[in-house]
Amino acid sequence: MTPLVLAVLAVLFAGPVPAALARLPVVRRTPVAALVLWQSVAAAAVLAALGAGLALVTHHAWTGTSGLTTWLVAGTSLGVTLLVAARLLWSAHRVGTSLRAIRRRHSAQLDLVARAGGRVHIIEHEVPVAYCIPGFGRQRIVVSEGARGRLSPDELDAVLEHERAHLRARHDLVLEAFSALREAFPRWVSSDAALREVRLLVEVLADRVAARTSGRQALGRALVQLAEGRAPEAALGAGGNGLLTRVELLADTRPRPLQAAALCLLALGVLVLPTAFVVVPWLTALLP
Amino acid sequence: MGKARTNIGDLERSVMEVLWATPDGGSRTVREVHAELAGERDIAYTTVMTVMDRLARKEMVHQERDGRAYRYRARGSRGEMTAELMRDTLEEFSSHDRQTALAAFVEDASAEDVEALRAALARLDGA
Repeated sequence: MTPLVLAVLAVLFAGPVPAALARLPVVRRTPVAALVLWQSVAAAAVLAALGAGLALVTHHAWTGTSGLTTWLVAGTSLGVTLLVAARLLWSAHRVGTSLRAIRRRHSAQLDLVARAGGRVHIIEHEVPVAYCIPGFGRQRIVVSEGARGRLSPDELDAVLEHERAHLRARHDLVLEAFSALREAFPRWVSSDAALREVRLLVEVLADRVAARTSGRQALGRALVQLAEGRAPEAALGAGGNGLLTRVELLADTRPRPLQAAALCLLALGVLVLPTAFVVVPWLTALLP
Repeated sequence: MGKARTNIGDLERSVMEVLWATPDGGSRTVREVHAELAGERDIAYTTVMTVMDRLARKEMVHQERDGRAYRYRARGSRGEMTAELMRDTLEEFSSHDRQTALAAFVEDASAEDVEALRAALARLDGA
C-alpha cells in the first residue's frame, strides 16, 4: 500500500502539481513564500520517488515473502530507485561543474579587459548590459558603458541594487538546484515550468529589494531602457514576457501576510506528507 | 590575502597592457615584458614569468616556443577581447532553456515586448 501511495505522490508532485502552480500567477505576489513552496514541491517529488522504491524493497524484506516474483519486484524497484538517485546526483554535478567553468573563464577575461569602478566592473562596449557573476569566490557585478549611458543615476542605482540582491541572497543556488532537476528529468516532469517560474520569482525578489531602496519608477524605467537597448540584437521570438510580468508586479508590492502564511503552510504539508509515508512504516516495523 | 590577490590581478593587467601595446599583434618574451615593467616598479623576473604562465593557462595569451625561450602574444587586442566577452555574454543571456551562468538584469525582448513594457511602465507611473 505505502509504495503505491508514495508512487502516486511522486507522480503528482513531479507533474500536475507544478504544472498547476505555474498557472497560478497570484502566487507571484508573495515571491518568498512562492519560492519556498516551489522548493518543497520539488523536494517532495524526489523524496516520494525515492521513498516509493525503498518502501517496496523493505516491504518485501520485512514480510519475508519469498518467490521469484517478489524478488524481481524488489530488485527492479531498488534498481529504479538507485537510477533516480544517480541521475539526480550526476546531473547536479554536471550542471555545477559547467556553470563554475563558464563563470571562472568569464571572470578571468573580465578582470583583464574591464575597468573597475568601485565594486562594479565596467566593460567598454556600447551594447547595454548589466549582470552579475555569482559564486563562492569573488562575485562580480558588471555594467557596460552602453548601459551607463542609457541610465540616469537613480536608474543605475536600482540596477546595481537588484544585482546585489541576487548575490546576497545566493539566488543562483536555488536556480542551480532546479536546473539540475531539469537536466535529470527533462521529460514527463514539469521541470521546465518549475525552472521558468523560479527564474521569474528570483527576479521579482531582487526587483522588490531594488524598488524599496531606489523606487519602483526608477527600477521600471531601467528595465524598459535596457530591454529597449538590446531589442535589435534579441533573437526573434525571445521570451520577453517575463519582463512584462516583472513591471506589472512592481505596481502592487503590498505585503499579503495571509497568502504568504497559507503558501508556507502548504509547503510544510507537501513535505510532511511523503516523509510520513516513508517513516511511519519503518517505525511500526521497528516497534514490537 | 585580499591584497595579494589584487596584486596578481594588477600584474596580469599590466602584462596584458604591455602585450596589447606590442605593434601588429606581435609577441614578446618574458625578458622583454619584464624589462618594460621593471622600468616603473620593482618586480622580479620570476614573478613576471609566473604571471605570464598563469595567463597562458587561462588561455588569455598564446604561448609559442622560439628556440630556448617562449614568446607570448595576447589572444586578441583589448577591443577584440572586449567584443568577444560581450558576444559570450549575450549568447549566455539568450539561452532560455537552461540556467545561465550569468544573471542578466533583463532578458532579450522583441520590439513588441518593449511596446508592452512601455505601456506597463506608464501604468506604473500613474499608480
